[in-house]
Amino acid sequence: MLEERILEFARLLRKGGVNVSVTQVTAAIQAAAAVGLAQEDFYIALLSTLVVDQIDQPLFDKLFRLYFFSLEPGVIQKNINYEEQDTEQLTVGMQLVDSIEGIGTGRGAGASPYLLLVKAVRETNYPLLRRLGEMGVESLGELEQEAVAEIDKLVDQAKVAIGWYQAVNTLEKIRVQEKVSEIRYSKWLECLSFLEKYMESLLEDLLVKKFGYDAIEEIALAANIKEKEFYRLDQLEIQEIRKQITKMARKLASRYARRYRRAKHGKIDLRRTIKNAMINGGTPVRLKYRKRVISKPELILLCDVSGSVALFSEFMLQLVYTIQNRFSHIRSFLFVNTVDEVTEYFKNNSIEEALEKAFAKARYAMSPFSDYGRVFRQFEKEYLPTFSPQSTLIILGDARNNYRHDEKDSLQRIGEQVRRILWFNPQPRDEWNTEDSIIGIYAPYCRQIFECRNLKQLEEVTEAIL
Amino acid sequence: MFQSREELEKKLAEYHYLIDRDVATVVYLAVKLQKPLLVEGPAGVGKTELAKALAAVTNSRLIRLQCYEGLDEAKALYEWNYQKQLLCLHLKQNQSKSWHEAKDDIFTREFLLRRPLLDALESTEPVVLLIDEVDKSDEEFESFLLEILSDYQITIPELGTIKAKRVPLTVLTSNNFRDFGDALKRRCVHLYLDYPTFERELEIIRLKVPGIDQLLSQQLVSFVQVLRKQDIKKPPSIAETIDWARSLLTLCVSRIDADIVQSTLSILLKYQSDIDKILPRVSSLLPDD
Ligand SMILES: Nc1ncnc2c1ncn2[C@@H]1O[C@H](COP(=O)(O)OP(=O)(O)O)[C@@H](O)[C@H]1O
Ligand SMILES: [Mg+2]
Repeated sequence: MLEERILEFARLLRKGGVNVSVTQVTAAIQAAAAVGLAQEDFYIALLSTLVVDQIDQPLFDKLFRLYFFSLEPGVIQKNINYEEQDTEQLTVGMQLVDSIEGIGTGRGAGASPYLLLVKAVRETNYPLLRRLGEMGVESLGELEQEAVAEIDKLVDQAKVAIGWYQAVNTLEKIRVQEKVSEIRYSKWLECLSFLEKYMESLLEDLLVKKFGYDAIEEIALAANIKEKEFYRLDQLEIQEIRKQITKMARKLASRYARRYRRAKHGKIDLRRTIKNAMINGGTPVRLKYRKRVISKPELILLCDVSGSVALFSEFMLQLVYTIQNRFSHIRSFLFVNTVDEVTEYFKNNSIEEALEKAFAKARYAMSPFSDYGRVFRQFEKEYLPTFSPQSTLIILGDARNNYRHDEKDSLQRIGEQVRRILWFNPQPRDEWNTEDSIIGIYAPYCRQIFECRNLKQLEEVTEAIL
Repeated sequence: MFQSREELEKKLAEYHYLIDRDVATVVYLAVKLQKPLLVEGPAGVGKTELAKALAAVTNSRLIRLQCYEGLDEAKALYEWNYQKQLLCLHLKQNQSKSWHEAKDDIFTREFLLRRPLLDALESTEPVVLLIDEVDKSDEEFESFLLEILSDYQITIPELGTIKAKRVPLTVLTSNNFRDFGDALKRRCVHLYLDYPTFERELEIIRLKVPGIDQLLSQQLVSFVQVLRKQDIKKPPSIAETIDWARSLLTLCVSRIDADIVQSTLSILLKYQSDIDKILPRVSSLLPDD
């Protein structure tokens, strides 16, 4: 029973993009058995065994709450007097709440909710904040199953209903007029972000109670940016992806590490030293070192940076340069309808700086429309003679050629010069070869073409080149 | 070792290491499940101290492996003392043995330089193995640690397999200087140590700086807590709060005001840029009352 619940919970975490291994689940089960099912202890048992990365904790907390409180409340023993504190402070606020709802008749009658919100924040009155949050969510009426997909939007509606934006404006004015100190002000901000989170969690809770496991599953999936298509990412998610890429890079790098490759000069190989000494009549003449075994691939990256493909190219460059010591040599090129080498930018700059400079300074576009044919021709003429036959050429792009010449012969000759061509395509596979996509025409000259539309696939393709 | 979490909490408190119930639960779990404990968190929150405290309260020997860039097996596990080996070989030169015979003479325990990890594996007394600041080591070293922490045994080609006499209580710490590999993390029980709450920090101060005035300690801790929320390079840690409290005590300060904070700020903030940022704002960061 308990084991099943933990297993199912771990499955939810995975849906949310948190990698949980079998070892971890086993540890979680043992841990729960060791500390018991009191809410707090059970939570710590799962948290300390299932979450290896701080980044994942907010999602863990959310899913834990939804699964073990809203959906399967029978598993854990809840703390007594949970959330029962400070009821006293509430009564004052409640009269006012009633008054807006048209029940009360006192001085506050007719008060608009935003004034209440201002009051709650100024007094850092959490019970009143909660009550307001509940009002906001109630104002949304009956919730349909589709609502699960748009919780953000609903939270925003709930905010409007309680006069959030007016309140924030008013608070800003008060802050200036009354010269509110920084600490007070930061407490106000805490109140507001509490309220926002509280409404979100109320909504999720309602949805899970109403639609069951499916709702949690969908909430988990929505949180999983690893499977979200690059072109649908918002600014915050892009930041997050950048962090994840750095992490992923480290992971990939260490997986391919070999024990003896570490030492700069290699280790002293005593066997060989002594054998050598035996030959010389027992006197060790010189120390022998173990040789380092190296077989690192050489990489050439040819990146389309037009429109929506640019972000994908940027991610790939970030990833590859983070693990650049796994390659003997990397050269990189950007193009839209003309191509420019950007390798140098990565030599003496941090990766962020290099990316910024490369995108700002390189000459890769004379028009906003990509022209693969023209680029391949130029690439062949200007750069091909400088590539070693050992190198792997990776082309990043959607092969949407704006109906221009394909110049496939050029690509063929390039393919004959290098070890292999791999193509990473960020466009969904079912859109390949529709409209102006000509990936099929180039396919014969590539060893392999990969679909690469989200972080998960980016990780997979990177493994392919290591 | 200890029978319950409560006992662990109590013993650590006697050692003057104060922890919350949640932290105690995780430490207790690591011991109970015989898994390495990975402690992460900002500098100065008591990660290293936790391992030391654990060693003290479990009457174990503390074996510490401090990680750094370039640390390798030779420095962490064992190394052949080749100078001694060569010398020995040289002395026996006249016996004109074959390489095969000579080899047996010099690849023995006598010529082995034990480093912390081997020391911990071979120890017969209880040990706490502290692998401090793993994030400072190289990615390659991690995979090696992973091997050792998976089955607590190692193979020395010339000597065979050495298995731990008893699984040491292993504590790994990390400042998140570098985000290290997941595989190693998955082996461990996780503890995220954050800056203490107001109440907890107050208790620590009163314990470590006896004789400090009640009101003063409250004021100073709440200022430090506010400071940590500011956007600065290095927020003050518990160690800095303790230092500050001691200084204020020595200076016979009884109440905190802007002047005093300004003149002692360098005890709390280690970067000049942080000091420059905070100095002009001190009065607005002090408690209202
Ligand atoms: N929970 C605690 N109880 C008592 N003292 C603590 C606690 N945490 C930290 N300290 C104090 O803070 C100092 C710094 O801790 P340390 O272990 O060096 O930090 P870290 O290893 O996390 O950088 C310790 O020497 C100790 O005096
Ligand atoms: Mg330390």
